[in-house]
Formats: sequence, C-alpha cells, structure tokens
Amino acid sequence: MNTMDIELVSVSKSFGSVNVVRDLDLQIPRGQFVSLLGPSGCGKTTTLNMIAGFHAPSSGEIRVRGKSQRGVPPERRNLGLVFQNYALFPHMTVAENVGFGLRMRGTPREEIHRAVESSLRSVHLDGFGDRYPKALSGGQQQRVALARAIAPQPSVLLLDEPLSNLDLKLREAMRVELKELHRELGMTFVYVTHDQEEAMAMSDRIVVMWQGDIAQQGDPISIYRNPRTRFVADFIGRSNILSVGSHSAGSGGLDLSIAGTQIVLHSSGSDAAAPVRSCCIRPENISLHSGTSPDGCRQNRLDGTVRRFVQLGAHVELLVDVASAVALTVLVRSSPASLLPAIGSAVTLAIDPRDVQVLAD
Amino acid sequence: MTKLLPCLFWLAIGLVLAFIVLPIAVVLAASLSPASTVTFWPSEWTFKWYGALVTDKWISPFWLSVRVALAVAAISGVLGILAAYALVYQKIPGASAIMGAILSPLSVPQIVKGVAIVLFLSIVGLQNLLGTPALIAAHVVLALPFVTRMAATALANFDSSLDRAAQSLGATQRQRLQHIVLPMIKPGVLSGMTFAFIISFNNIPLSVFLVRPGDTTLPIAVINHLEYSLDPVMAAVNVTSMVFILMVIFLFERIGGFSAQLHGGSK
Repeated sequence: MNTMDIELVSVSKSFGSVNVVRDLDLQIPRGQFVSLLGPSGCGKTTTLNMIAGFHAPSSGEIRVRGKSQRGVPPERRNLGLVFQNYALFPHMTVAENVGFGLRMRGTPREEIHRAVESSLRSVHLDGFGDRYPKALSGGQQQRVALARAIAPQPSVLLLDEPLSNLDLKLREAMRVELKELHRELGMTFVYVTHDQEEAMAMSDRIVVMWQGDIAQQGDPISIYRNPRTRFVADFIGRSNILSVGSHSAGSGGLDLSIAGTQIVLHSSGSDAAAPVRSCCIRPENISLHSGTSPDGCRQNRLDGTVRRFVQLGAHVELLVDVASAVALTVLVRSSPASLLPAIGSAVTLAIDPRDVQVLAD
Repeated sequence: MTKLLPCLFWLAIGLVLAFIVLPIAVVLAASLSPASTVTFWPSEWTFKWYGALVTDKWISPFWLSVRVALAVAAISGVLGILAAYALVYQKIPGASAIMGAILSPLSVPQIVKGVAIVLFLSIVGLQNLLGTPALIAAHVVLALPFVTRMAATALANFDSSLDRAAQSLGATQRQRLQHIVLPMIKPGVLSGMTFAFIISFNNIPLSVFLVRPGDTTLPIAVINHLEYSLDPVMAAVNVTSMVFILMVIFLFERIGGFSAQLHGGSK
C-alpha cells in the first residue's frame, strides 16, 4: 500500500535553454497540506503545472497514487485546481460553475445538485448558487473556485497562489478557513505560494524551493528554527546572518569566530565536520540587558551600541552595533520608553547557544 | 467660444442624419404615393405598391436572397470560428500567412472577383454550379474575413485560464470548445454572422455574374427592373428590404446581445 499521493522522481523541466526545475525529488503523503514556497522564478509554479499535467517534464517521472502520469492529459488526472485569478466561468451561475466538473463526467442531475450544495456549504456560500460570479466579491469568487475544484472529489487539490489577489485582512481569514477545509475534507493539498507567513500558517510541511531545486523541507517550525542554508534563513522569517571565519569544537557544541571581528559565538550545533560558513540568529532570540550584565546564565554575551530604534507597536526593533562591521537586529517586547535604551547607549546582548544556527553556506 | 464646439458637434450630427435619413424618407414617401411616377410628398397615400410586391416577380428573388444569406451566415460562421480557433487559439504554424489569405478578398474589387469566378467555373467545366451554389460560395469568400476577424478578436480576449480550469475539471477538448470557448465568443461570432448575412443579402457586384437568368437575387431583380422603369414599386421594394434587414439585426442582437459588446459594455 502506497501512502504517497504524489511522487516526483528526479523531475527536470527546461524551457529552451533555461532549466526551470532541476532533478527534483519530492514525495507528498496522502492527506497532508504541503506548501511549495519560494520567490518568483524558483520553479514552484512550473512544478505545480507539471503535477497538473499542463507541462510535461523534460525528464523524470511524476506518479499520482503510484501511477505514472506520463502521457496522461490534465483532464484525466482527477486533480482539483485553484487559480490566483479564480478563473470562474463568467457565463455560468455559481451553481453551474461548481457543478461543471461533475456535469462533464455525465453525473446524474440529482447527484450534481447534492454535490454542489455540499461544496458550497463547505466554503460557507450556501444560497449563492443562482448568482453570477461577477456579482460576488473577490473573496467570495475564490470560495466558489474552491467549491468548484472540490466538488468532483479529486484525489489532490492544487492551489496556485489562491490568496494573492485578496487584501490582507481577507487573506488572513482565508488562511484559517483553508486549513479548516483541509481538515474537514482530508484531501491532500499542494499549495504554491511566495508568502512565507501563509505557508507557515497552514502547512503540515513546507518545501522551500530555490533555483529549481528543493532548498529544504520539513514541518514549518523546524524550518523556521533550523534553517540549513543562508537562503532559507533569509527567506523564512527575519534573521541576522553572520559570516563565520573559522570554527572549532567547544563544550557541547561549536565555537564560531565571526569573520572580521574578535567575536566568538558558542553554538549548540554539534557536528564539527560539517561545513560551516555562516550562522543565523533570529532577532526575537536576542535578549537585551542595558548597562552592565546582571547574571552569567547565558553563554553568549555581546557588548554593543544602539544605532537605530523602530517602534512596531507590539514590538520594538533595535539595530545594535556589536563590532565595526557587524550590527544585529534585535526584536524586543514593547515597554514604556523609559525602560528602553536610548540611541547611542551601551547595551549587552544575550544569545542562547541553541538559538545560534549554523549554516552550510 | 465655449458654445461653438457643441454647435459644430450638433451641426455635424444634423448633416449626417440629413444625408442618411432624408433619402430614406423620400423613398418611404415615394413608396406610399398613388402616382405611377416617383414623386416626393404625394397629396394622397396608398399601400397599393406594397400589394404589387406580392407577386412571383419579387417573392422568388426575395426567398433566393434569404436562402443564400442564411447559408452564407451559417457557413462563414462555422468556418470563421474554426479558422480563428486554429489561428489565434492553437496558433498553428503559418497562422499569420493563413490569416492573410483569409482576409485577402477584402483587397480585390468584387467585379474582378466575379469575372474571375465565372471564368474559372467555365474553364474547369463546372458552369452548372452557377446559380445558388456559386452565389453561396462567392458570398462566403466575401463574408469570411469579417466573421474570422470578429471571432479572432473575441478569442484573443478569451482568458486561457478558463480553458485550463475546465480541463482540470475533466472537460475534454470538445467539451471545452462547446461549454467554455463558444459561449464566451458567441457575441463576437454572432455579430460577424450578422455582417455576413447583410453582405450577402445586399450584394450586387458578385451576384450579377453568378445568378442564372430568371432566378435572381433581390438586388439583381431590382437592377433588372430599373432598366425598364423607375416607379414606386422600386421604392416599396427598397423600404421592404430595409425593414427586413433591421429585423434581422434585431433578431441576431436578441440572440447574442452583441450591441453590449460593440459598445464596450458587459451583460
């Protein structure tokens, strides 16, 4: 019994001389919400189009539920597809749009009616069946597109940046709804996005793509906490990335000498044999002690001067110079102005070794 | 000064209306005059000339024109859709050359074309196609550029993600053509077909070479009649065919709602 819904086996795709996807291996287990995340041009949409069947891979193989999809046209793959621009049929009512897939398969009328009703209920649009798409808001249109894609009960739902055309508030609300819909249907979702927050909020697993290949994959929190490359550390969330000059085994981890400075950071990253070129520290993992440091419970301690100060409401972002060429961004909880260091004042920064993530490049 | 532009605007509109509407009014008045010569603004009114139209001399050319025009609209509609689909949507190799060939009849004088068709048919020994088959074929060649152009424009505006959405929902190519592409380009195609109908129904320069003696289209029957007499029957024929054309346009518009498209609006 194969529990993988979709498998890509060393899939490559080139358009002319441009290699858009290189030797990609990917397994998507049944029922998971998997995001393909990356900047534009990373090959994520091409990968989705290959799964959907609109592009044939230049080499390699795509399997859906164990069956090779070579030569299978999109209309015979039984995959649901949701587009960024909704792509609703303007000359059909909402109900006709949602029932289209089943109608093309020659499903009996009563059955179509039942499926349309239940799909519209899933996206909270019961009672909208008789309207035309033009009469609906962007958010409602995207729900209709979702209902249309799930009505024929596809094995997998492919979503291509479905929330990108919506405004921020609606986008955040739709994230929650999409996640609930996923739970309710138990269907495999493959979600393409360039928005890391979106991917974080919904995914069981994130596949970070860069330059046509997988940069890293894993559950959202492990990708956030343990990025393995500079690109991932930089793309997912915010981070301070420091170049490492040399490194050596220290007590229970690694000692990293930061290039161009006297600073040595202790990291709990353990493997001294693996290449270490840089390290990353999330701004919220740096804590702040004004003036002299009170205690010695943290192992990394850096003295610095506050250069910049940005009030973000719930948080305050500080830029602290710790060496001539090194400044760290620090995110601290907002508190009354009198308790925060002024620009130009000396501060001591404390960093837990577990929060110093070593990067391979 | 600020009043001058609106004045010029209304003057221009007035002149255009005068040139288009007044002659029609004259014809209409003449067709209702009891005198047997054409007179403007008769002192009495009668419908007797319209009654005189209900004879085989006029009825049979009228029906021939209607039959030919309907066939031309239908054939050029189907051909135009297929051509536009292949050239614009599928972008087959040589698309622009083929489109050029389809549009080329626009640049050849109709008289030349008419002579050419008659010569061609007699050289290859197909003179017996003269009459209805030759009329339909020639009019289709004449109307096809309009229908193809309009279908091509409609297709160029067609959002191809709709096609992909339908495909992902399991629709075969034939189903997508039937349920998605055709309904979306219907207004454009129907307005092209209206043009085709009118082009065929009004045609003289081509038809004059292709009709068989004694079995002519309405415009040719009018020409033949004019050779002998300029009487109110002529006016009555003209008014009748004008009303008929208006009815055809109205009918096509009811089916396709293309005036909305022509005016840039939406349903």
